[in-house]
Amino acid sequence: MWLPLLGLILGISLGLLTEIQIPEIYESYLSIAVLAALDTLFGGIRAHLQHVYDDKVFVSGFFFNIGLAAALAFLGVHLGIDLYLAAIFAFGVRLFQNIAVIRRIMLTKWSERKNQ
Amino acid sequence: MKKTKLLKVPSRGLITISIVSLVLGFILAYSYSISSEDTRENASDVSGFQEQEKYREKLVEQKERNKELTEEIIVKQQKIRDYEHSFVESEESVEELVEEAELLRLLIGDIPSRGKGITVSLEDGAYNPSQENPNDYIVHESHVFKVINELKISGAEAISINGQRLHANSYIRCTGPVIVVDGNTFPAPFTIEAVGDPKVLLASVNLGGGVVDQLTSDNIVVTVGEKDLITMPALRDDDYS
Repeated sequence: MWLPLLGLILGISLGLLTEIQIPEIYESYLSIAVLAALDTLFGGIRAHLQHVYDDKVFVSGFFFNIGLAAALAFLGVHLGIDLYLAAIFAFGVRLFQNIAVIRRIMLTKWSERKNQ
Repeated sequence: MKKTKLLKVPSRGLITISIVSLVLGFILAYSYSISSEDTRENASDVSGFQEQEKYREKLVEQKERNKELTEEIIVKQQKIRDYEHSFVESEESVEELVEEAELLRLLIGDIPSRGKGITVSLEDGAYNPSQENPNDYIVHESHVFKVINELKISGAEAISINGQRLHANSYIRCTGPVIVVDGNTFPAPFTIEAVGDPKVLLASVNLGGGVVDQLTSDNIVVTVGEKDLITMPALRDDDYS
């Protein structure tokens, strides 16, 4: 379990150390990417807990969602429509659903363990 | 079952998960740093904006003050111009009045007159036996009138005949070979003195076909001379007769 943790720490430190400035217009892309990443992560955790985890699905979903969200935001910026709202909405809803599922699974596991 | 799967999956799954968590961590941290920068920038923006607003308000205040002052300046300048105008007008009128008064005084002989001038002396023509009528070659008062009128027209300030200064109500009467000026009798020759610009006066009397020519054609000996200083005393009341 130390490898993903190490990766996370490395990523955080890298992100904090990066001094790259991005234009203000593209900041919405980043926020959407964050949301997509979080969504995918919680989706993966849920899948793992539900024993339907597939790393291919997870990894591809992770990067594809980020890319799709960015593409949507890009399109929205260029069409004058706030399409990133759609991405935020979709990812937000799924994030909450995933977290809810994770919570329920945890609760059932916890109650099962308590019953034992 | 679960155990074996967990044991089986990790090596590959862990790597992918590590990569994913790396990317996730990077994205999270990066967006965090950017947003914190943004907030800082926003804060500085806000303070900068406030400062800007402050300066703008100051500027606006100054501009308004400037405008007020400019308006005040315009009003004051207008006032000054009005004053100047009235001043000039009054000055002009005063000047005119003074000049007029001066001229009138000179005309009525209230004040002494002195300055450059000319003398015109009129003498009877030499006796000519062929001329039967002596009236044809003596100086008449009409000749004197001509000269005096010409001099007055030319701007003479004061005129005297044989030392008798003329005033506005002077009269000249012909009584035979002599003329009477304001009650004083004068024989020929008559010396008419006039105070004024000699150039103008000389030019006017010597004009072609002018006074001198006319008098000469009337067989009168006319002598015109320039004088540097002619002094005429003010007329006293008793001179008016």
